[in-house]
Amino acid sequence: MSARESADLWYASRATGVVALVLLTLVLVLGVAVNRQGRLPGLPRFAATSLHRSVALLAVTFVAVHVGTAIADPFVSIGIAAAVVPFVSPYQPFWLGVGAVSVDLMLALIVTSLLRTRIGRRAWRGVHWLAYACWPAAAAHSIASGTDLRHGWLLDLGAGCVAATAAALAWRRRRTLRDAPPAQRAGPVLAAETRRRAAGAP
Amino acid sequence: MTGLLARAGATPVTAPHGLPRLIPAGAGADPGLAAHLARLGPPAHSPAGAAPQAGPAIIAAAQAAGLTGRGGAAFPVHRKLRAVAAAGRPGRAVAVANGAESEPASGKDRSLLWLAPHLVLDGLQLAAEAVAAGRAVLYVHRDPDLARHLADALAHRAAAGCDRIATEVVQAPDRFLAGETSALASRVSGGPARPGFAEPPVYERGIGGRPTLVHNAETLAHLALTGRFGPGWFRAAGLPGEPGSMLCTVHRADGAGHVTEAALGTALAALLPGLGGPGRGEVQAVLCGGYHGTWLDPAVAAGLTLSRASLREAGAAPGAGVLAELPASRCGLAETARVARYLALESAGQCGPCFNGLPRMAAALAELAAPRPAPRAEADLRRWAGLVGGRGACHHPDGFVRFVASALGVFRDEVAGHARGRCRATDRAPFLPVPAPPATEADWS
Repeated sequence: MSARESADLWYASRATGVVALVLLTLVLVLGVAVNRQGRLPGLPRFAATSLHRSVALLAVTFVAVHVGTAIADPFVSIGIAAAVVPFVSPYQPFWLGVGAVSVDLMLALIVTSLLRTRIGRRAWRGVHWLAYACWPAAAAHSIASGTDLRHGWLLDLGAGCVAATAAALAWRRRRTLRDAPPAQRAGPVLAAETRRRAAGAP
Repeated sequence: MTGLLARAGATPVTAPHGLPRLIPAGAGADPGLAAHLARLGPPAHSPAGAAPQAGPAIIAAAQAAGLTGRGGAAFPVHRKLRAVAAAGRPGRAVAVANGAESEPASGKDRSLLWLAPHLVLDGLQLAAEAVAAGRAVLYVHRDPDLARHLADALAHRAAAGCDRIATEVVQAPDRFLAGETSALASRVSGGPARPGFAEPPVYERGIGGRPTLVHNAETLAHLALTGRFGPGWFRAAGLPGEPGSMLCTVHRADGAGHVTEAALGTALAALLPGLGGPGRGEVQAVLCGGYHGTWLDPAVAAGLTLSRASLREAGAAPGAGVLAELPASRCGLAETARVARYLALESAGQCGPCFNGLPRMAAALAELAAPRPAPRAEADLRRWAGLVGGRGACHHPDGFVRFVASALGVFRDEVAGHARGRCRATDRAPFLPVPAPPATEADWS
């Protein structure tokens, strides 16, 4: 393999890593919005769930490319096992290990979400709490194992991700759920939508 | 009364020829247990005190007959029986006759329970025997008169020693989803009549965690007859691929409605006078399969028959046998919007896509049913239909979307008319039956 190809892989891994962090931040913010019945401008409430899923799929794709290119890159030796087994990489064992932990948590979230109707809502919900451990692991890995996020506009981007997550969590704590009994949930939605249409609102 | 069964066994009975099979022609009231046994002979199930028969023989007969569920899904009866029989040790399973037809436009199970309750109860006993059930339940909508009628029928059967295991009657709230299988299991277990997730399936873990067999009341009536007269007799009516007959609730354009039994494969035109003959031109659309069903253009419906294979060509299904003509004097969009509003408010309020999406779609449809709707109303409906379809624990959103989407197709001229401020309706009185929406939480238990 030539030095030129090697540099390509290295750049690809760094770039997809940064994009994956941004997407994972978006997934977490959308997840909080879904969980707290938040509205996104221009979207009906139930569409937030679909968006959360779609962006999660996209984020996982970027993570897969990020990990794949990092392993394939001969510049540093990481080893395939280090993608999922924490702290076994010869290169940066600790901070790559934190990244592997985040990948493992992601796999748990994906598998339980795909089997959601089979394992029951309670088990799914319990595992889904791990998302709040998955994101910090991914963020810590991003900041500590690379140097990209420490300077210039990428520093701003990284800080933006942290700020967005912090804001979402703060909002989550403040926001109380409207817990109407199930039989009284459809009626208010119908009334509100009818009013909105009568007013000619977009 | 104890001699009733012995007497019925002593007198030879000829199998009923032709239709109707389930409700005797001209029956205005339940003729009672003695007349039931005199007409059809002794039941196929074992009487009180007798050792139960082998389940596999009963299941094999249902399979040979090709009997499918008459509650709407047309699932093969023998497969359900086999699944429940395999799910637990003998005596553990629960067998349920589901007579809580939720469809406001359907009256066939109610008619059957009023006019031929013993046929349903025979079928329930036979199904319970097939799966070695230790408990039998008859599930019906809350109705004190019907409950009394069924209690009388059960008392007569007990006195005559008809049944191996006792049947208890459980009443359901008058909710659209109360008859859904998982809602039924929850209600009979003592919870609210709300649907749950389909896993684990009710046939494995249903009422009180036991394997549970749930068959529509009419399905069990067919099973009782098949047990008596054999699969060959059952197949004498209907199509080779879809044998037998089914009860249909027919609503005519003139406002008259009735329950009738028709062989599978009967032309829709033979059931709906508005599709041909003198009523022609009075009908602008046909609703097939009820409120989770499909609107059909009359020209299309006239070429179809009452069978899954034929109706599939038009994207429809027989469902639980509701067939309604919409008179030319009514606005199809207004009728659809009224039913959609009812269905949206009948959401069990458990899954976001359902209790958020259905009311919004109902509101958009109400706008479309009024003169000069905002141009985006139809686009909103189509977009939300894509987001709501296939979501939620039960099939309520799917049925809703199917119903609304078919209306947008069949009534597209009406949609265009409303955009210009014109509506074809000369009569604004509601046509399709719609009960009052739920008011309180207590309505679900």
